[in-house]
This record gives sequence, C-alpha cells and structure tokens, in this order.
Amino acid sequence: MLNVRQVSLIIFMYTAVSKTLLYPTQLSGISGRDLLFSAGVDFLIQGAVVWATAYLISRTDKTFFRMLADRFGKVAARVIFGFFAAFFLFVTIYPLFEQKSYVHTVFYDNMPMLPLFLPVFFFLVYAGSKNFKNIGRCADICLPIFLVSAAFLLATGVGEADFSNLLPVLKTPVSKVFSGALATSYRFIEPCWLLMFAGNVQKSRHTAAKITLSYVAAAAIVLFFLAVFYGVYANLAPSRHFAVSKISLYFSAIDVIGRVDLSALYALEIVMLFALVLNIQLAVYCLSLCTGFKDAACLSLAASAVLAIILIALNNGFGAIEKFFSSWAWIAVVLFAVAAPLSAWAIRGKNDT
Amino acid sequence: MTELKDRIKSVKKILTSPDILTFEFSGADGGKFAVIYADGIVDKQLLGELVIKPLRERKGICGADGIKAALASPEVKDGKNIKQAVEEISDGNVALFADGEEKFFIIGLKAPPGRAVAEPPTQIAVHGPREGFTEDIKVNSGLVRKRIKTEKLQIKTLKTGEKSDTAVAMVYIEGVCPKGLPEKVQREIEQNKIDLIPDSSYISSFISKKPRSLFKRNGRAEKPDIFCAKICEGRVGLIVDGSPIAITVPYMIVEDFQAGEDYYSNSYRATILRALRFAAVLVGLYLPALYVAAQLFKAQLIPFRLLLKVTSAVQGLPLSPSIEMFLTLFVLEVLNEASIRMPKYVGLALSVVGALVLGDTAVKAGIISTPAIIIIAFSAICLYTVPELVETTTTLRWIFLIVAGSVGPFSVVALSAFLISYLVTEQSYGAPLLAPFAPIVKSDMYDSLLKANMYTLDKRPRSLKSNDKVRLKTNVER
Repeated sequence: MLNVRQVSLIIFMYTAVSKTLLYPTQLSGISGRDLLFSAGVDFLIQGAVVWATAYLISRTDKTFFRMLADRFGKVAARVIFGFFAAFFLFVTIYPLFEQKSYVHTVFYDNMPMLPLFLPVFFFLVYAGSKNFKNIGRCADICLPIFLVSAAFLLATGVGEADFSNLLPVLKTPVSKVFSGALATSYRFIEPCWLLMFAGNVQKSRHTAAKITLSYVAAAAIVLFFLAVFYGVYANLAPSRHFAVSKISLYFSAIDVIGRVDLSALYALEIVMLFALVLNIQLAVYCLSLCTGFKDAACLSLAASAVLAIILIALNNGFGAIEKFFSSWAWIAVVLFAVAAPLSAWAIRGKNDT
Repeated sequence: MTELKDRIKSVKKILTSPDILTFEFSGADGGKFAVIYADGIVDKQLLGELVIKPLRERKGICGADGIKAALASPEVKDGKNIKQAVEEISDGNVALFADGEEKFFIIGLKAPPGRAVAEPPTQIAVHGPREGFTEDIKVNSGLVRKRIKTEKLQIKTLKTGEKSDTAVAMVYIEGVCPKGLPEKVQREIEQNKIDLIPDSSYISSFISKKPRSLFKRNGRAEKPDIFCAKICEGRVGLIVDGSPIAITVPYMIVEDFQAGEDYYSNSYRATILRALRFAAVLVGLYLPALYVAAQLFKAQLIPFRLLLKVTSAVQGLPLSPSIEMFLTLFVLEVLNEASIRMPKYVGLALSVVGALVLGDTAVKAGIISTPAIIIIAFSAICLYTVPELVETTTTLRWIFLIVAGSVGPFSVVALSAFLISYLVTEQSYGAPLLAPFAPIVKSDMYDSLLKANMYTLDKRPRSLKSNDKVRLKTNVER
C-alpha cells in the first residue's frame, strides 16, 4: 500500500523531472517565447484529470482492475489491462531514448554510447519487478535528492536569466501554442499513474487536495524552469538540448570551481531513473493482472527485454521516434491518460466508502 | 546407586578428560563427600570456603537437606540425574555428591578466565561511560542490570551450539519491546543447530533473515550504556557468552551514524558530527570511483585548475587510471589487513614501510600518481568515521570502482539507484532498514542525521513499533 504522501511525492517529483530534458527545447522550437502557455495548456488539462482521478481514488477501495471486472467481467478487464501494459511500455520508449542521449551528453565526453547505456537494464529489470511499497519508499528517499539538486540548478541558473526574453507574450500564433501543447502531450500521463494506484492508497483526509496540490507544485517548478531556460538562451533555446544540463553553464562560479552542477545533475539522474522505471513497474503490474502470471521478476525481464530490443534496433532513430511521438502519441494519451481515468468515474460501482 | 564411588565412576565414565577433577573429603561426623569440577573454570578458593570448609567443620549434618543448609554458597540447586551433572560440570559448575545420599547438588562457582571491564577500542568516549562488555556473559548481564533496574527487565538465557552449549542472554523490557518479538528472535536462534558458537557474529547470522546480504540486519553494541539505551527504545538485545559484542534487533542503518557520545554532548554539535559522518561515508564510497570515471570518461567532473595538476601528475604513468586506482586500493587493503594481524611492533614498522617505501617510492618511480594515493587514503579515513558500516562500505567501494572504471559515471548513478531500490523495502524484524527516511517517519527524524535535544526526543522511535510510546515525561515548560 502507498500512503498519500508517497503518491503526492511521486506526482510532484516524477512530473517535474520527466519534463526537464528535451521538453523545454522541443516546446521552445514550436511555441517560441510563448512556451509557458503551451505547457500551461497541458498542465491545466491534465491537472483537472489529476484532480478527478485523485478524487476518485480517495473515494474508492477498489482497484481499477476490480472496477473493470465488476462492470465488464474479468476477461474484459484483463484485455483492457493488456492494453494498459502496452501503453506503459509505449510511453517508456521516448523517455528511454531521451535518457540515452542525455546520458551520452552529460556523463561522457566522447564515447560510443549504446554499450555504456545498456547496463541500465539491470536496474530496470530489478526495480521493475518491485511492488507499490517499493515505489512509494523510493519516492520518499528521492525527495531530499530532488529538492537539493533542483534547488541548486535553479538557483545557479536564475541569476543568468533575462526574463524579458519571454516578452511580449502571446505574439506567437495561438495555433502554434496549441500545437506545442499537443506535440508534447505524451509527457503528461500522470493521471494514468494515479489510476493504477487506485485501491492501493491508504485512506487519509484531503487526499485529492494533497495530490492535486503536489501536481500544481510540480507544474510551478516546470514552468519556472522553462522560464529560466528561455530567459538564459532566448532564441538559441530550440538548439539547446537537455535544458537541465545547460541552465547552470553561465553561473560565474563554474569558471572557478569547475562543473559542480554535474554533481547535482548526477543526483537528479537517480530521480529520473526512478521516474523512468515507474512506467515499467506499472506495465508489470498490468501484465500480471492481464496474464494472471504472478512472477514479477519474469514479467519485468520480459518488459525490459522488449524495450532493450527496441532501443538496440532503433539506436540511431531517435529523430524518427521523436517525430512519431510528436505527431501521433497524443491519441494514446487522450485514450489512456484522459478518457480512461475519467471513465473510471462512470464504472467505479456503488460499494465505495 | 548411592555409593559415592559408583557416582564418581559414572560421571568419570562420561567425562574422561584429565582436567575433570575429583576431590573426596570427610565431614566432621565422618560422612564422605566428593566434588567434581572442571579445572581452570571454577573458583577453587570459593569452593574451599563455601563448600568444603562448612562440610568439614559443621557437626550434625543430617540428610540431603542438612547438607544443603550447611553450604555457604548462595547458588545451590538440586541435581536431577548424572546427565545433568555432566552438563553442569562442563559448564563450569561444581557437582557435590554425598555417600549414601540419592540427591546431589550443583553449586554455581563458575569463574572462567577473562579480562576486566575496560573501554572498548572501537567505541572510545570523551564524554560518557567508559565501561565496555567483556567475554563473560555474567559480567555483561550484570552491567546491564546495573543500568536498568526495572522489574520489567527480562534476561532470558538460551543455550545454543551442539558442542559448545553456549549461553545466549536475551534481554528486553516487557511492555516496551513489541509483543512477540522476543519469541520470534528465540525461534530464529533455536532453528539453527551448529557445533560451536565462538562469537556473537554467528548468532547475528542466524537471526538475520538474509544472511547472504551485503547489508547487516542487526545492530552491535560494545558498551552497556549504548546497549541499554537500545533496549529502552524497544529492541531485543542478545549477549553471547564469549563475545564482547552484543547484538540488537530491530536494526536501522541510521543507527550506525549515531555515536553514543552524541547523546552526552550538545545537540548542535551532535547534528554537525552526524552530518559529517554521513558526508564522509558518501565521499569515501564515491570519490575513488568518480575520480576514475572522470579521468576516463568525463574530465569536466574535475575542476579545471585541479585537472591541470592531475594531468601533470598522471603524465607518463604506465597504468590506466582504473588499474592505478585498483592497485592503490589493493595495496591499502593489504596494508590494512597485515597491520591488524601482525604483532604490534612489526605493525609499526609495516606502517613506515607502507607509507614511505610503497607510497613515496612508487610515486617517485612513476608507477602510481600522488592524487591516487591521496584519494584512496582520504577515502579510507572517511569510511572509518562510521566503523560499524566498514565491512559494507569497503566492499561497496570496490564495486563502485569496478563499474566506474569499466562503464563510467553513469554506472555509478545506476548502481546507486539499484542500491536504493534494494534497500528501501529491506527490513529487520519489522523495522525498515532505511527508516526514518524511507518510509519517512517525521518524529524519528529528530534522532537520525539530525540530533534534537532530549525534550524533543520524548517518544520512542515509531519505526520500532514499541508498545510504550512515551519515554520522557516532564512538567517543565520548555
């Protein structure tokens, strides 16, 4: 079982860290100086779904699987959970490639990358097989790591930011603002995480408010981070990949004491890895309910193997993957991270607490 | 069979070793007696004064009750059979037989050779008590009783070891210790049958749910004040005969960052020291690995001016950075191991040889660089700030060094995430190993890396699930 604090931390930290690599670059490329509005649209829509899902999980003891099984029968529930497992694996593909490129840039000067990145699968297989208790406790331990490193990076970047670069606002065509929001929507799957936690969260007061507030806090951090990033790089922002590793570059002390920001980035990478593995953990959870096979280690191995094969096969195809996700992934997000959590309200059944 | 000779014969038939001594003597009324005991572990002076002398001098001793009444020893119990007599004699007690009497007596006059109570070498205190446990279970139990006088204190003696029959005292406070925990620990001990228990570390393995894990599952205490404090928090303690190191369960890793002295000094100072220990362990673990990773894969990790120095120091070295670091660490471990095992004075010479010959000369010869020696030496010093974790941290340092040298800095991060993922759900008798950080237990945070004053620490640690939650009641407003 998770407690509300742990769910809130998961939403707070993993939402924030998963949007600090290529997201600012991508968004500034589409929406320019109005990137905050594009991000705001996504956060507003998903914030509302997060609230609805959080409210739902505070009102029910049932897991989403139980809700489906009670309404449509076990077979249908299993099929739907099979789709969810596929969805979680699907949405892990882009972050995995993103991580690979990020690791290449930040952790190594000049090396052939793939063999050096593959050991991450030892971690993914191991952590992927863990249960909700483990997910919650990892979030607990990540909190100080996240707070210290994020505060350090933002503090060292903010001094160099010229926020007037964001002005004048809303000069970009509205269509571009919305297409920016749509193209990056595949990063907003938090309601789906919450849906999977349903029935596994300890009862507490103000559950929905706490979870929604943590999402708002994450949104605030991401928006502030976007503002700092654009404030530092302005028109150069679309060519500055992995924003989180770049915002501290002009901090004056770095010339004297060296790349101390790297230690914060390395610490933050731990949180990023946990954010990445959360999707695999949920895919394993879904697979387990779908197949009835209880050996989480085997399922995690299978899920990670699929991802490893995709990573090896499309090693140099990150551009194509990015294009595909920007163009089409929103459909999956609408289905699984918006429609499914909202429809859970309709099927939740009557024996709620 | 009440003939004295027969009784002696039946005991000697089982205990054939020559160090099992028999002393036959006559009482004032002419009655014949015999004491049988193991040489070297019985206090002979007390045997003479409390057993032999009264029986020889007192007249009118009549029957078994009369004999018992004549004995001046406070520790006398009735013997049941020859098997029990044999066990008690082996355990260091004395068996007293009287001619014509069916009944015999076991007299507790155990005095095994041992050292006096002294300050343990690994937990030296500037402030606070200096007593340390010895190898004698009775002395150790006494040191505990001296500090905890409540009638709720339970010291339950178990026997383990098929051949050694070692006594293990299980110490806990009824009402404070979680219900069922002592029974659970007892079951774990009794499930294992082994010949000999030479040290408490054997018991430590037995009661550990995962004995193959790199991370230990129980705490250790060499000082009775620390041991008693842990017992009062709701833990179960185990004192093993023959070992000066007591064990406590449940265990949380944060315990090892808490020194006994933290509780006797200013809480601000204690907090700084705890943070220092934590930082030192992180530095000791990661520094060699990150140095190698930086040299091989990411030079930017090293500040530019320092990098210039390092570059000039490593220029012309025949070994790769990872091999160089590996070799330096290997030398350090060998020196460490040898200096512990060697006689004191040879050890001193060894330090000189290690520092001057291996260190200075190797640098001058251009085999290893100065930064490598500095980093390994500093890492070793850092890890020894938390001596209780040294076994784990030194092993982890090797692992980090190997992965950093082969896969680079990302592997160090991935391995750290792996360790976190492993440790967060590990537990010791219901207490999470990483508590109070995972899961976060707010009230326990005040005595973790932070050390609050004693008025803030008015509750027992929640992670230990003690039945009695309050440990400090005060009417004074603060």
